[in-house]
Amino acid sequence: MIMPAGRPLLLPANPRFIALSLLLALLLHMLLGLSGQHWLPDVLAVVVVFWNVHQPRRVGLVIAFLCGLALDVHESALLGQNALSYVLLSSMAIAVQRRLLWFPLREQALQILPLFVVASLVEWVTRLVVQDAWPHWSQLLAPLLQAALWPGLGALLLAPQRRAFAPDDIRPL
Amino acid sequence: MALDPLDHSVPPIFRRGLSAMTRTVLLGFLSVLLMAADHRLQISQPIRSGVALVLSPLQWLSLQPGRAVGFLGQYLGNLEQAQDAAQTYQTRTIAQAQRLQQVEQLLQENAQLRQMLDLREHVAGPTKAVEVLYDTADPYTQRILVNKGQLSGIVQGSAVIDVAGVVGQVTRVYPLVSEVTLLTDRGQSIPVMNARTGSRHVAQGDPAGGGGALELRFVPSSMDMQQGDLLTTSGIDGVYPAGLHVARISRIDRRVDTAFARVHAQPMAQERGRHLLVLMPVKDWPKWPAPPAEPPRGKGKATAASKPAASAATTPGATP
Repeated sequence: MIMPAGRPLLLPANPRFIALSLLLALLLHMLLGLSGQHWLPDVLAVVVVFWNVHQPRRVGLVIAFLCGLALDVHESALLGQNALSYVLLSSMAIAVQRRLLWFPLREQALQILPLFVVASLVEWVTRLVVQDAWPHWSQLLAPLLQAALWPGLGALLLAPQRRAFAPDDIRPL
Repeated sequence: MALDPLDHSVPPIFRRGLSAMTRTVLLGFLSVLLMAADHRLQISQPIRSGVALVLSPLQWLSLQPGRAVGFLGQYLGNLEQAQDAAQTYQTRTIAQAQRLQQVEQLLQENAQLRQMLDLREHVAGPTKAVEVLYDTADPYTQRILVNKGQLSGIVQGSAVIDVAGVVGQVTRVYPLVSEVTLLTDRGQSIPVMNARTGSRHVAQGDPAGGGGALELRFVPSSMDMQQGDLLTTSGIDGVYPAGLHVARISRIDRRVDTAFARVHAQPMAQERGRHLLVLMPVKDWPKWPAPPAEPPRGKGKATAASKPAASAATTPGATP
């Protein structure tokens, strides 16, 4: 892979860490859901998209689909509603993945925002078609917050892959 | 194992799998299929139960912080509050005791009359006490999850009540938990009877409506309806036992341009009750005469006057 200059080389990602981060994100999502606030960001979506962008061969569409299905059951929503929006979200993420990696995390957030907006639009349209209910206005805030979470969460999730700085006389690199 | 960054390893050229586009289309189609199966055909319950079973440890875990905070708050709550609550309940008990005595007498009388008329006796059905786990996060529906499911004998379609009135109905049963749709949900309706006039109606959930969370459908403008009328279950649907309190009429809009009045009602059930009671659907109750071995549940005293052993209390106000 061609990399931008001056970027440190990362260690390979640990699959167990990926699984753990997804599980913790699901747990956090459940916890936030208990508060009953509609505007809270969907942390699970951010984590799924992050791994889609950084490890597309480990976390792909099928895992996104399964996460969405789990959310559907947990929220007692229509089965497949979140799954559809997650699948579309992660397919868009995989489509822009090569380009996105050339930018620093903060600029990635700006580019990832439209993805989250489209994903929530998909969810709204499904709800409108099926349940004939108009979405709550405060939910407009969620995609913005998700994009704002991207740099921080990204730095956190990449932390285990950063090589420890250990200067060595034999290997000066 | 060599430390090669993952992205550098090229996948074997003949094992690329499906392209991302094909996968998206396939999985999207699968989601739409699932939605159709869930919405139109209602055949996706096994999938739901399976996923719910896998998720249940996580769900349990996510409830713990809230529970700990609640426990701590309760522990530190002041004594005064507890005394107040005790006082309230005592007053309520006394008020109910007086009514209960009248009801006992009426029950005996009713039982005798029924025997004379050789009518089928109303029996209080089996009940299960449950506890609310959480409100579902879906902002468009009014549903709660309770802590008992199929393994505890909860049946789909059962009515759910609290101390003040009907709360809702069990709409999905999982192995360990079950989902209750509240009366105020958009898709939920309940047959009711105006306790003052005896007219029967259907009340439907109307969470966004002004002046009350329930709406009575198709009430003629000329019908005798007053603000403050009590609505009880009518008992003609085979699900809700007759005579349970449902709501009080809060607002009536009579308009010139339509033959129907818009009637809004406020549910009697407490908004944030924690303990609820699940009543089996009436059509699943044990048939009269009930087997004599089964002792009456909940109600302590056996009515002396009614000869048969199945002496559980009838619901008051069952016959208009």
